[in-house]
Amino acid sequence: MTQTPTAATPPLSWDDLAYLPVSDSSFSVQSDAVRQARAQGWCARTPYGLAVLRYDEVNKLIKDRRLRQGSWAWPAHNGVTGRFADWWAGWLLNMEGEDHARLRRLLNPAFSPRALAELSPTFVALANELVDGFAATGECEYVSQFAEPYAARVVAMLLGIPEQEWPAIAEVSATIGLAMGVTFAQELPRIEEALDRLFAYCDAIIADRTANPRDDFATTLVLAQRDGERLSPTELRDSMALLVFGGFDTTRNQLALAMKTFAEHPDQWALLAQRPDLGKAAVEEVMRVSPTVTWVTREALADFEFQGLTIEAGTTVHLFSESAGTDPRAFADPSFDITAEGRVPHFGFGGGAHHCLGHFVGRMDMSVALPILAQRMPDLRIGPGAEWMPLSGNTGAHRLPLLFTPQS
Amino acid sequence: MKVVVDMTLCQDHGQCAIAAPEVFRMDEDSKLVFDAEPDESLSDAVQDAIDVCPVQAIFLER
Repeated sequence: MTQTPTAATPPLSWDDLAYLPVSDSSFSVQSDAVRQARAQGWCARTPYGLAVLRYDEVNKLIKDRRLRQGSWAWPAHNGVTGRFADWWAGWLLNMEGEDHARLRRLLNPAFSPRALAELSPTFVALANELVDGFAATGECEYVSQFAEPYAARVVAMLLGIPEQEWPAIAEVSATIGLAMGVTFAQELPRIEEALDRLFAYCDAIIADRTANPRDDFATTLVLAQRDGERLSPTELRDSMALLVFGGFDTTRNQLALAMKTFAEHPDQWALLAQRPDLGKAAVEEVMRVSPTVTWVTREALADFEFQGLTIEAGTTVHLFSESAGTDPRAFADPSFDITAEGRVPHFGFGGGAHHCLGHFVGRMDMSVALPILAQRMPDLRIGPGAEWMPLSGNTGAHRLPLLFTPQS
Repeated sequence: MKVVVDMTLCQDHGQCAIAAPEVFRMDEDSKLVFDAEPDESLSDAVQDAIDVCPVQAIFLER
């Protein structure tokens, strides 16, 4: 289990590694090239650095403190400075060490599973309300009619934003999401305008809960204290804005990927309808074989050796979550099965110090939604005109027409 | 207060060591070590660690 190479570990040369063109728009983490590279060895070269493809190695490196979270310098790489870059630098995800630990200690209580459990009936009602909008027709455009409003209204509920304002959450998040793409620098004025609007939302919530505390998620966040410390107004605003942005997009995309996976496994969809208690297992299985976060990015802090390979400081390391989650070395039968027992955990929520802060929310809202969808959308098929994002980075659907047998 | 960790569940994410560094820490090999009988004054920190554990592997025996 040790992470330092033993005498038995032969040196591994970068020149001998398979090459994966992960920056190509046509690249897919589910391609034969990735499967062949995984069969050949635990890692591959990429235009950015290293791709890690097998379960054991991903599991070790995702928790290895010789690596930091990998996207912290993204604004600088794009020549971007100013308030977006300042916001980015204050993200929990982009901090390390004691600064990260202090912020995380103050953010943790709002996300505790005990505090969130009471929201479950609200999620049930929301899922049913949205399905009511199309159940009788036997078809829907799932992204705009379910995944997007569901994910945005869950965020609105948590923060106490009026739920009818959910399109603003979706629009602001989508515009800020342009920062993740190749047109980041050109789009900066639009992105900053959206960020200003998001900040205004957050500032209003913070002012309201400071003056009128209630028993809710936003108040827990605003009033959090630990060891005599509080979150500063800037930390609160920055973190709340990250929560909106990070919580909405990932949930919307993961909900779309779930439907793709279940459409390919009709027997599992029928089983989930009969056994809603399998909702939690369904979320875990979907995220194992079809995670929206197809890779978790890290950066080497110093030169080090791992299983015979020298990894130099500054190397970008992509930990392939889907490849690890379907690695036959870790899963005797990696096929999609929501009744499988004894599965080792997937990496769809990352891991280690940067494990997703909001995973209890995501796990709960999706495990509530999927059985309801299965019961009310039998004989699920993907209709014509689906538009998918590239199967790399953070993936999902732009548009997902679904067909099913209408319910009387 | 007695802290119990189900080591068959523990994945060494280290979130407990962030939430309650007085009780939990990660060793040189990034494996969990912890004080099984911490002082009562640390009960809030331990409760935070219990809540935050991604795999919910930490329990309290009083």
